[in-house]
Amino acid sequence: MQKILLMYACLFLGLAGVAGQGGASETSFLDEIKDIQENFDSRAVENVRPVTRETVLAKDQFNGRPFRVLTRKNEINRFKCSNCHTDKAVAVNQGVELTHGSISLNHGREGQALACIDCHHPEERDYLWDKKGEKIDFDHSYQLCGHCHFRQKRDWLGGAHGKRVANWAGERVIYNCASCHDPHSPRFEKRYPATYSPPLDR
Amino acid sequence: MRAVKKRNLKTFFIDVVRWNLQGGYGFRIFRVILLIFMGLGVYAYSFQARYGLEVTGMNDIVSWGFYISNFTFLVGVAAAAVMLILPAYVFHDPDFHRVVIIGEGVAVGALIMCLTFILVDLGGPLQAWHLIPVIGIFNFPSSILAWDVLVLNGYLLLNALVPAYILYSHYRGRKADERKYRPFVFLSIFWAFSIHMVTAFLYQGLPARPFWNNPLMGPRFLASAFAAGPALIALVLAVIHSSTSYKIDRSVFNKLRLIIVISAIINLIMLFSEIFKEFYFPTHHSSSAVYLFFGMDGHTSLVPWIWTSVCVNLVATLVLAFNPGKNNPKVLLPACLFLFVAIWMEKGIGLIVPGLIPSPLGEVVDYLPTWVELFVTLGIFALGITVVTWLIRAALIIEQSYEPNIS
Amino acid sequence: MKSDNSSGKSGCSCSIGTARSDRRSFLKGLSIAAAAGSAALATGCVPSVEAAAPEKMKLRWQEFFKDNYRLMTQEEKEATIARLERLAKLQDDLDIQMSSDPPIDRVLYGYAFNISRCEGFMECVSACVRENNLDRKTNTQYIRIFEMEPGKLDPSTGDGRYYHKVPVENKFYMGTQCFHCENAPCTKACPTKATWMEPDGIVVVDYDWCIGCRYCQAACPYYGRRFNWGKPEIPKDEVTTRQHYLGNRIRPKGKMEKCTFCIQRTRAGRLPACVEACPTGSRVFGNLLDPESEIRFVLKHKKVFRMKEELGTEPKFWYFID
Repeated sequence: MQKILLMYACLFLGLAGVAGQGGASETSFLDEIKDIQENFDSRAVENVRPVTRETVLAKDQFNGRPFRVLTRKNEINRFKCSNCHTDKAVAVNQGVELTHGSISLNHGREGQALACIDCHHPEERDYLWDKKGEKIDFDHSYQLCGHCHFRQKRDWLGGAHGKRVANWAGERVIYNCASCHDPHSPRFEKRYPATYSPPLDR
Repeated sequence: MRAVKKRNLKTFFIDVVRWNLQGGYGFRIFRVILLIFMGLGVYAYSFQARYGLEVTGMNDIVSWGFYISNFTFLVGVAAAAVMLILPAYVFHDPDFHRVVIIGEGVAVGALIMCLTFILVDLGGPLQAWHLIPVIGIFNFPSSILAWDVLVLNGYLLLNALVPAYILYSHYRGRKADERKYRPFVFLSIFWAFSIHMVTAFLYQGLPARPFWNNPLMGPRFLASAFAAGPALIALVLAVIHSSTSYKIDRSVFNKLRLIIVISAIINLIMLFSEIFKEFYFPTHHSSSAVYLFFGMDGHTSLVPWIWTSVCVNLVATLVLAFNPGKNNPKVLLPACLFLFVAIWMEKGIGLIVPGLIPSPLGEVVDYLPTWVELFVTLGIFALGITVVTWLIRAALIIEQSYEPNIS
Repeated sequence: MKSDNSSGKSGCSCSIGTARSDRRSFLKGLSIAAAAGSAALATGCVPSVEAAAPEKMKLRWQEFFKDNYRLMTQEEKEATIARLERLAKLQDDLDIQMSSDPPIDRVLYGYAFNISRCEGFMECVSACVRENNLDRKTNTQYIRIFEMEPGKLDPSTGDGRYYHKVPVENKFYMGTQCFHCENAPCTKACPTKATWMEPDGIVVVDYDWCIGCRYCQAACPYYGRRFNWGKPEIPKDEVTTRQHYLGNRIRPKGKMEKCTFCIQRTRAGRLPACVEACPTGSRVFGNLLDPESEIRFVLKHKKVFRMKEELGTEPKFWYFID
């Protein structure tokens, strides 16, 4: 009788042990991950091809860690603006349509939309400016965007918004705001998808 | 019999082959038909070997189809030999003792069919050696498929070697030593239950498939196996009784009927239990059952299939239970056939395909086997029937020449 | 039908049975031919009766008997990669560079998908197909994108087969692929351990070890796995030649495949093709063991959830909203 009871006890404990190791347990591997304190230096990952596009060190930092941002000035065709916009006014017939006609300004809601000089410095055309009158370089336009879109900026600094350029390891290089969002018409256009899902039964 | 013919293992095999190559006109026609179907099966498989499984009707959603359906059903038929072994060896029923070897022959044939179905279903059959423990990797005990490989092959060995030993002893004119094989017989009784439970666990252990992930799969498999398997064995016994001189007593059929009826009723009770669970408060997990019984998103191809199966199952069970005609074989044998077919429909396609539809992301497709699958299946069935014929013919010849000697 | 009481009477075959033995030998020959033919067909020898170079046969012979990748030594790995590169050159005239990059130390890959930002452009699907050399004939796609109704998170309520201008008002878009579960049901199910989780978290398949039983595909709750029902066909000029043994090399027919987090890129420090292709930046990828990584920022600051969390598979793929 006692032997049978002992056998059943062993069987039960064995099964309980097996069950405890399976999934659907209360702990998750995330708890173990969050306990890890040591930092991981992603720059120590070997053989990472460095980003070849032009970058600049960002003026903001994420948690005290610096990162680089793609430059913007080399993407702008007519930079420097001061080539035309000197201290005298530009007196060309229909000048706006000829030079800046490709820009459609659609930033903000109807009736509350932004105007050109809301972002562009009226005197120093090579710079942007914010509402406090501070000059902001084109390469660091995130400082301006972030004044209104502060939530996205916070996410962008952390990595939940925007993207790294090409690598997950190595030095952190991320896209700047204007890389993805046309600053004059930031909303993504409706378009057809790049592909479609074929019928699932062949 | 000529004076003192030498009898040893070599002559045993030669005689088995010889007996099966002789025979009357009808028997030879039967063999040729089987050979033709096997040839057609090989021809169809050649397409599959060349082009891959794209020639079947399976796709990424219905990734298991006709082959695995038949495999699942036939494991049950193989396990059902236990329903003859139990009365013969445990209860020492003399009538069953005469026919138990036939049941074991059917089990061996069914198992060979099962293993062949798995082989033709594999995408890389040449890599099957990767399963062998030392030279490959055998993921035991984590993978239930590994368990299944073990138990099926073990059961094949048990059901092949024990009767082989008994037959060989009888062939030599000796009585088989019961002490030698009795423990293996008992082992095979437990093993029979385990092969079908393990096959059920293949499906039961997948949380990704709510249609299968319920505790009733294992017991339901056993119930349906013990209804369909003895039904098939009853039909085989009837064929043997009518076409050979090996006569089988009516009481065997009556007892088999009881076994079949009880199992079939339990099967229906379990079916009702599943239907209640799925349809009393349908959840997202019930979508497979909804697809099966009522169709979904315009896909209704399995609805007539399952309703036919359930109705035929019900009617056949009632006929077998109430026994109109009082054990009249003209009533009972067709009922057995219909029950067998109904359970094949419900446990084969009616279980495997709905488990995979809708896909884990909720998409519904239809499945239809292609000509390749149908012909390969027919070929494998022909192979199984050939194996069963060979084994039973040899067994009956040996038993008939042995019986007059000892009794 | 009279039964043969042939307890040893072997004399029947002499005179009476000449016709019978002719028929018998004919049937015997037929069955032998059928057996031999089926053996030949089964090994697929008959189709490739073209003048196969002896080098190709030798390479294929050696490839047939190799071990599971996980158990190979470094020399064996390099040897099999050399053979595969050579075979690709001989069979398809392709110059590929296959790597066997090991996992990077102290890295566990994690992935996050922003369902507020995805606009359904499916650039990720297209990039994945190109990068991973997926079969163009069957349009295999590892990634599925669903157009979803707000208020329901179950992909079965969404439409995975849309093709119209996106984004549609009042719909959101959600993508699925292999989630590389920590407690993967697929790796548990595989009877030959042809699929396993690498130390850096990627669930991989050794395509040459897989026997094609598709049990892992039945076990996956997320439709993460794809099977090569036929031989994959990729136009020669679209083949990505930088490959990894466990990643985007061209798979043989009859083997399982799946998203590998672009193992050929991520182990070289690059982002997976889907992350890099996304025009809206909805996909976040990084090292879960790095507290400063983007993925950890998402997990810490955003409302994240995983698909079918109740199954306990612990996927390393989270969804989040802004």
